[in-house]
Amino acid sequence: MEAKPGMEKNEKGWEPKILAFLCRWCSYAGADLTGSSRISYPANVRILRVPCSGRVNPLFILKTLRSGIDGVLVSGCHPGDCHYTAGNYNARRKFALLGRLLEYVGIDPRRVQFSWVSASEGDKFARVVSEVVADVKALGPNRLFPTTTHR
Amino acid sequence: MEKDEMKDELLAIAAMLFDEGRVEHFLGYKKGTVKFKARPLIARSKEDLQDLWVEDFFTPNLTLYLKEIKGRVGILVKGCDSRSLVSLLKEGQVKREDLYVVGIPCPGQIDLRKVENAGAGEPEDLEEISRRGMEILIRASGQERTLQKSQAFLDKCIACQYPKPLVFDALLPGEYVAPLPEPRPPEDALRKKTVPEKWAFWAEQFERCIRCYACRNVCPACFCPRCLVEENLPQWVSPLPLGGDNFVFHMMRMMHVAGTCVSCGECERVCPMEIPLMKLNEKMADDLRELFDFVAGVDLNVPLPFRTFSQEDANDFIK
Repeated sequence: MEAKPGMEKNEKGWEPKILAFLCRWCSYAGADLTGSSRISYPANVRILRVPCSGRVNPLFILKTLRSGIDGVLVSGCHPGDCHYTAGNYNARRKFALLGRLLEYVGIDPRRVQFSWVSASEGDKFARVVSEVVADVKALGPNRLFPTTTHR
Repeated sequence: MEKDEMKDELLAIAAMLFDEGRVEHFLGYKKGTVKFKARPLIARSKEDLQDLWVEDFFTPNLTLYLKEIKGRVGILVKGCDSRSLVSLLKEGQVKREDLYVVGIPCPGQIDLRKVENAGAGEPEDLEEISRRGMEILIRASGQERTLQKSQAFLDKCIACQYPKPLVFDALLPGEYVAPLPEPRPPEDALRKKTVPEKWAFWAEQFERCIRCYACRNVCPACFCPRCLVEENLPQWVSPLPLGGDNFVFHMMRMMHVAGTCVSCGECERVCPMEIPLMKLNEKMADDLRELFDFVAGVDLNVPLPFRTFSQEDANDFIK
């Protein structure tokens, strides 16, 4: 498969690119713990820190897919532990609906995944990322939108 | 005759509202430029009311104009329109005390696109459309044709759950479409297809969208002062009608109207490319019912789905 701008390429072939929205108080800290505990996890993930999982507008997920990124992960605090009290509850409702609409339109739910990872769950973060990468790798590159965005 | 009785009563009410200075505008229907279609009538005085026309074909959802016409307004609503009104009241877009709501009984609306697709006649050739029991009689270019209600009605009318307006100050006399006893089961065959098959369908639909924004402009639930597509710092959605950007526009519009959209069907009716937007609306309405036990535009006291949450909300899709 020929390399295109933005496509990961190493000696093993195509690697998926995953964008992960991590909440600053739990999941991002959890990911940091993964690193400082020297737990290996796939390098396919690019992390975007948000103050809260509730900050993630469904628009961000749609734009991510539109721009050709292969997978999306959104991760926040466990229900009841949100730093802003109810942001993750709000997020849970939004993503429940968005996930169903995306599947109805024909986007495999394995491309857009959600998790609750706390600041102490370094090992869980590594596991979640591994699973998401494996799922997206099995699905193949995001070829949903062959025409590019003119920028 | 029933129709005259209904029109006379409507004229009397509207005239009274102007005479007593209770409204500055009255929203009703007038004859369309195309036969068998109605246009909205925005009456500013009693004299404007002489254009009022309430024959069988009053399809447009007039609550749309409540977003722009301020002050005290009289408005004509069918059952489905009244749900839009309830939604707008819940969203704080209109005040109940500013409105005088006249409920109009609706016998079900004819879908001229279906009539044309059934080969019964193109809009410019239609001469007469009348009802007889469960049948619709159509005469076009001298030829007569009979269609069943299921062939000629708008999809939403075949499955009408709310024929009687939910909010009104006065209710006109007339015939209602027969309601179904249970919620309509999803007949959308697309829901049973595989994910790649679904994408094959929708990718083609999104490619055909020309971004005319008729769907957005006609929608009562779309009341953002500045639409996300008009935002250019940052430019969230490219204005170019490419499949990918059309996908973002339509999916985001759905997410924005979720909880307010009552499946009035205007978006699909006005789409020049005949994109089946109601499939998305209905899927979303069914999801909101399943996930949050929520039905839009019915109960003024039930909170909107994204203004509230529950400890028991669906969590199984989250790792």
